[in-house]
Amino acid sequence: MSSSVPPWRSTAPAAMSSAFPPAAAPAYTPVQARRSLAHHTKPTNGMVPSQPTQSASPDTEGRARVEFPPPVRSYVQRCFAPENQVASVSIPEMQEKLRHVITEAAQNNKLGLIDWERLPLPQTMVQNERNKILANPSSSNWASSHPASPGDATRKRKSTDGHHSETGSPPWRKANRNRFEDRVTHPTTEKKPRITLDQSSKSKANLEMRRKRFEGVAGGGNSPSSPAGSPMRAADADQGPVVGRCQTLEKNYFRLTSAPNPDSVRPLPVLQKALDLLKRKWKQDGNYGYICDQFKSLRQDLTVQRIRNEFTVVVYEIHARIALEKGDLGEYNQCQTQLRVLYAQQLGGHPTEFKAYRILYFIYTRNWTAMNDALADVTAEDKKDLAVKHALDVRSALALGNYHRFFQLYLDTPNMGAYLMDMFVDRERLSALATMCRAYKPDVNIRFITEELGFESDEQTARFVLDNSSEELLEERNGAVRLLTGKAGSLFDQAKAAAHRVVDIKGQI
Amino acid sequence: MTSLGSLAPAFKNAYLNGSGPELAAVLTPIAPSEDPGRLRSFYNFSTAEYLSKDLSYGLFHGKSLKLPKAEQAAWVDIFAAYWEAIGEILRCEDRIPGASVIAVFNAWKKVANALIRGYSGPAGIPAWTLPCLYTVGKYMRTFAINADLEAASQGSAGFGFQDDIAADVEKNANLEEAARVINRMFTLCLSDRAPLEESRKWGIYNMTNLLFKTYFKINSVGLTKNLLRAISASSADLPPPEVFPKSQIVTFEYYVGVIHFLDENYTEAEEHLTYAWKMCHRDATKNRELILTYLIPCHLVTTHTLPTKELLAPFPRLEKLFRPLSNCIRKGDLVGFDQAMSDGEAEFVKRRIYLPLERGRDIALRNLFRKVFLAGGFDEPKEGQSPVRRTRVHVNEFAAALRVGTSTSGRSRIDIDEVECLLSNLIYKGLMKGYIARDRGIIVLSKGGSAFPGTGV
Repeated sequence: MSSSVPPWRSTAPAAMSSAFPPAAAPAYTPVQARRSLAHHTKPTNGMVPSQPTQSASPDTEGRARVEFPPPVRSYVQRCFAPENQVASVSIPEMQEKLRHVITEAAQNNKLGLIDWERLPLPQTMVQNERNKILANPSSSNWASSHPASPGDATRKRKSTDGHHSETGSPPWRKANRNRFEDRVTHPTTEKKPRITLDQSSKSKANLEMRRKRFEGVAGGGNSPSSPAGSPMRAADADQGPVVGRCQTLEKNYFRLTSAPNPDSVRPLPVLQKALDLLKRKWKQDGNYGYICDQFKSLRQDLTVQRIRNEFTVVVYEIHARIALEKGDLGEYNQCQTQLRVLYAQQLGGHPTEFKAYRILYFIYTRNWTAMNDALADVTAEDKKDLAVKHALDVRSALALGNYHRFFQLYLDTPNMGAYLMDMFVDRERLSALATMCRAYKPDVNIRFITEELGFESDEQTARFVLDNSSEELLEERNGAVRLLTGKAGSLFDQAKAAAHRVVDIKGQI
Repeated sequence: MTSLGSLAPAFKNAYLNGSGPELAAVLTPIAPSEDPGRLRSFYNFSTAEYLSKDLSYGLFHGKSLKLPKAEQAAWVDIFAAYWEAIGEILRCEDRIPGASVIAVFNAWKKVANALIRGYSGPAGIPAWTLPCLYTVGKYMRTFAINADLEAASQGSAGFGFQDDIAADVEKNANLEEAARVINRMFTLCLSDRAPLEESRKWGIYNMTNLLFKTYFKINSVGLTKNLLRAISASSADLPPPEVFPKSQIVTFEYYVGVIHFLDENYTEAEEHLTYAWKMCHRDATKNRELILTYLIPCHLVTTHTLPTKELLAPFPRLEKLFRPLSNCIRKGDLVGFDQAMSDGEAEFVKRRIYLPLERGRDIALRNLFRKVFLAGGFDEPKEGQSPVRRTRVHVNEFAAALRVGTSTSGRSRIDIDEVECLLSNLIYKGLMKGYIARDRGIIVLSKGGSAFPGTGV
């Protein structure tokens, strides 16, 4: 990866290269580990403010691409209007708050419900929060941390807490609330609160933890000297999805074990460019290992930022097609499962094409329970689609043992279905041969088998027969090779049974 | 102040009588019809602060009921959780803002957990109280389903650290949670090592059935296999099924049958479903209908038999579901069969019987070809011998039969190769006896009345 430095890397902002030593820049894990250490060592603290400032603008750009209703847009415009600016609240702080408000609304599908005309501007919210902290002196931290206290900021926190008390609380919520990230990724930090906990009374430790938790929101007010620091902390304590700040196009895939770090997550515009790059690279190099890894990280970035739109569909569709082409059915199945959810939300894409693949896939895996579900998914409208109709016909031909029809369909498969059918066509050839050997006596011309079972030539047919039985079954007579069906006995039945053993594919549900 | 209403005497009586069902009735989250205010008066008798004191006084004060200290504490815990849950239920009933079915479910789950602790912990609640476990489990399932509906209507969205968008797993989040708790109840019953007379093993089929029901609902039929494995592993220690209440065994056998059915093990499925069918109470119409829904397709696949009019007479819905298809199969009407399949598709798929029913087409085909054979008549009788059916039939005759009815519908033409393919399938599956002599274009059928086994010719 470091051997060829792509042009975009050299254009990376100066802030970035100053923050990270160049050697560490390309790979992501080492950077992450370093950052977590930096959390508690003083000298690196200085780098923290520099990042949000440089990433704030692409951030809002990314958001702006999502379709927002006009009232939201005008609300945002009012936020940035010069006459509405408050001296004590810096622009980054305001932006952070605004992002908070909109993300939360979008997440909860309340974009259309909130009265944007009357909602206080983010700068006002920040001020209110500060006033509240001033009104409650630090000794009464208890009171301010009670969810009962009114106000926009606390209301928001309350909703998090409320969610948490319910059992179905998603992991990232728990993580943020318990500062899970601190505990998991920085083992050294865990000791400190433990020691204080042993020394001081329990309630004091609780107070300490509350204060720490509060720093995320109130930090901006308490230390106005580092205003840009607050978005950074707020992102940690954030309740919503991550908003990425990473500008790198390529990124290796790593399985997440803790809350994602916004610095290593790419926002939508970057992801779009990344996809173009990947498409180009796939065409040029065709290196599947690399492409698959890149797509997985792309999907991960989409997920942690909860981006669900046409672009998401496109990413999954392309990855699914590439995986199909390479016969990587595990990966294909993951994409297919996700696509099913995405199509259900009417985000565009090619639902019928993939419904057809899904049916063919379940034929291959012989998962009848899932097949029943897939059939239930097919609507009357879908059945008019060529690919869906084809897949349904394939399924029914196989269910009835109609190999004649099956191989006609095989030779005329739309889209990329042939990649899937190739996976089980030999299996079905054995089934067909088992049937034919039982029914035809005393022999048949091999030409007939070639035509019925979609072989390319008599040679290929003969090879297939020899591979799966014995050579006594073939006999040359009057210039034609004949298959002695009468002598086949149960040879093909055995081969068929072996080929039909349960298919096990990694990643299968 | 500290009067539990009718609840305390009911509890004491049930305990003194040693009656599990009576005790379970006390733990029901629905007020009995003769005392509609019971829940409310029970909830109003105390406050969160004095709850445990009030409960231990109300339930165990006096000389009538003496229980070991640990068991008393367990019941106080159970009823404390129950009190909380009743509070949530009443809040829902009163439509107090902020009340939610999710809260009811979560509170009820605590009742279940307190109960499980009561059985497994030092309190050692005796096994005769097991009906409490079913009752609590049963209502937990109901509350969970309602909670999921409520969550879905609120459109909550949650995410884990997954690489992909969380699928529709959340749709059943509460029910899945309930399934986990019921699974603990299952283990609680199965793993009890007490002597059989006082063992919780007697609760095993009831808990299993509840769990089956839940797994089917959350579409995780695969998980039922674990239960079956666990039961069969300890089958030596379990009382034989015959000594359990019939209702429990019938339900159990039905589910086991359906599980095999979904795996396409129709022979095993038929065995279990037949057992359930024979044992099922004859007035349990709905259950009998459910059993038949799967037993009829089973029979079609395994023995090629169709349901009679008499069998389906008490079940008009099944008659409607299966009759058109059965008629077409009987007549060998392929066009009608395809039409009936596509007409009933939505319903068949919903009931998961589409795939086995589709196999009925082979039987329809067999019946059609049998007609061709019969129409072929007899060979010239040899002198002094009874006439013999013509057993050499030209492929074209079968092809003609297939074209009947299809010419008008404008379906794709049927070529001879496909006819041969259909014939060879019937021969392979044993529905027809004979062979295809391709070079001569004829089918040589078996002589002596076995050309179509089981049909008399």
